Amino acid sequence: MGLFDSLRSVLGVSAEADATRAADPEDLFGMSTAYLTMEADLGLPSAGEAALCFSNVDSTDFASTVEEVETILDAGQEETGTKHWRHSDDYGYHWFVLSDSDPEDLVTSVHFAADEFVERGYGSRLLAALFAFEGDQGYVYWVYSFRRGAYYPFAPTGTSSRDSKREFKLQSVLDGELAVEGDEGYWYPLWPDRAGQHPWE
Amino acid sequence: MQWKPDWGLRGRMALTMFLLFALYIIFVGVLSLYFGRLLPVVAFMGIFLLGQFFFSDKLALYSMGAHVVEEDEADTEMRKVHRMVSRLSQQADLPKPKVAVADTSIPNAFAAGRSRKSSTVCVTRGILRSLDDDELEGVLAHELAHIKNRDVMVMTIASFLSTLAFLIVRWGWFLGGNRERGGAPVIVAILVSLVVWIVSFLLIRTLSRYREFAADRGGAVITGKPSALASALLTIEGRMDRVPKEDLREQSEMNAFFVIPIKGDFIGRVFSTHPSTDRRVERLRELEREMEA
Repeated sequence: MGLFDSLRSVLGVSAEADATRAADPEDLFGMSTAYLTMEADLGLPSAGEAALCFSNVDSTDFASTVEEVETILDAGQEETGTKHWRHSDDYGYHWFVLSDSDPEDLVTSVHFAADEFVERGYGSRLLAALFAFEGDQGYVYWVYSFRRGAYYPFAPTGTSSRDSKREFKLQSVLDGELAVEGDEGYWYPLWPDRAGQHPWE
Repeated sequence: MQWKPDWGLRGRMALTMFLLFALYIIFVGVLSLYFGRLLPVVAFMGIFLLGQFFFSDKLALYSMGAHVVEEDEADTEMRKVHRMVSRLSQQADLPKPKVAVADTSIPNAFAAGRSRKSSTVCVTRGILRSLDDDELEGVLAHELAHIKNRDVMVMTIASFLSTLAFLIVRWGWFLGGNRERGGAPVIVAILVSLVVWIVSFLLIRTLSRYREFAADRGGAVITGKPSALASALLTIEGRMDRVPKEDLREQSEMNAFFVIPIKGDFIGRVFSTHPSTDRRVERLRELEREMEA
């Protein structure tokens, strides 16, 4: 903990400052090469889906931002064929789900969408971007945390349990190639509603 | 959209802390004149408070009869709380705290723990029954803001010397009654401690109220819905009046931790740990308007 952070704590503004800090999408592109390693070294090919999770803001300006993102993704669909749809889950969070057999296009689309949120001043509402991979034991994910500017692995085995061993393996193989979050305290789960499903289904 | 920082609140908070700090400097100065005699008391207090600080979360949970619930053994209601806490922590850039539940019908919630890594958010069964999902999320975000702002640590440090002053007022007699220099210096120490205790008590309560405002703001920013917390505060206060009084008094020493304090027979504005619900709701409505502007 730095001096600056201590000072913000003392003044009681840490919560406010960190919750409104703009997103850090810098390392998103790390995923475009990580896909290759995942498939070649771990036998985990892309599941052809990725998703961007964000939390809502009660304001008309935010609603128009979301529409704007949708327009951008529409344009992308014509160019690269990346399909997209919107989904809101039981906890009031919203998802842009993207589907494309080319993982490179998924990364690009997520980046475009995230960029638009940041441009419009809502970068702080971006929670995570998830990239899905398919293995014999079900889906695993690389989750990009916009708050931390880092990735963490997530291997759900049901609706409220995770395979930590598998996650550590993913971490050890991909560390260096991706900016991996070193502190497991920040490996937030995003559980699927039913075992074997994606968190956004 | 930009959140405008509340400089007024920050300024008042800084001023309160400065005054408290200045008061303590004077206090330590006076005490140092009698320090030899007081050393055992200070050492005892230090150890006691350190212990309290390290076990603060366990103490708070114990006094509420609450227990920690792991996610994989949670019932449906608590699983919902776990998931909300997890996402709100991610938004707040905070490691996910432990989640606990107290089996009482009082609708309330509190956060405990000395550091961001070892904190617990506790809800009562009563609050789960009283609030809808949006409101519950607002309250949880308010508690996470307390953790993020390290309120337990700040308030523990702020009240350390105040507790010492109280101890000297109470037990000062035994420290130096019939020693070689006579009783007079001890009386001075006791009188100074009394003044320090009264003034610091008021300052600490003021600081506590400011930190509630700060946590309200933090919570509103984390959820993006100031109105959700506002309506939760109104709902809880409304419900609280209907809960039997006997039950309430048992819990009143926990007030500083609660999202809404339990009203005793008489707590004046200067003595309360929390600002009035009306004022908190008013501030949240201001935030709401700011967002639409």
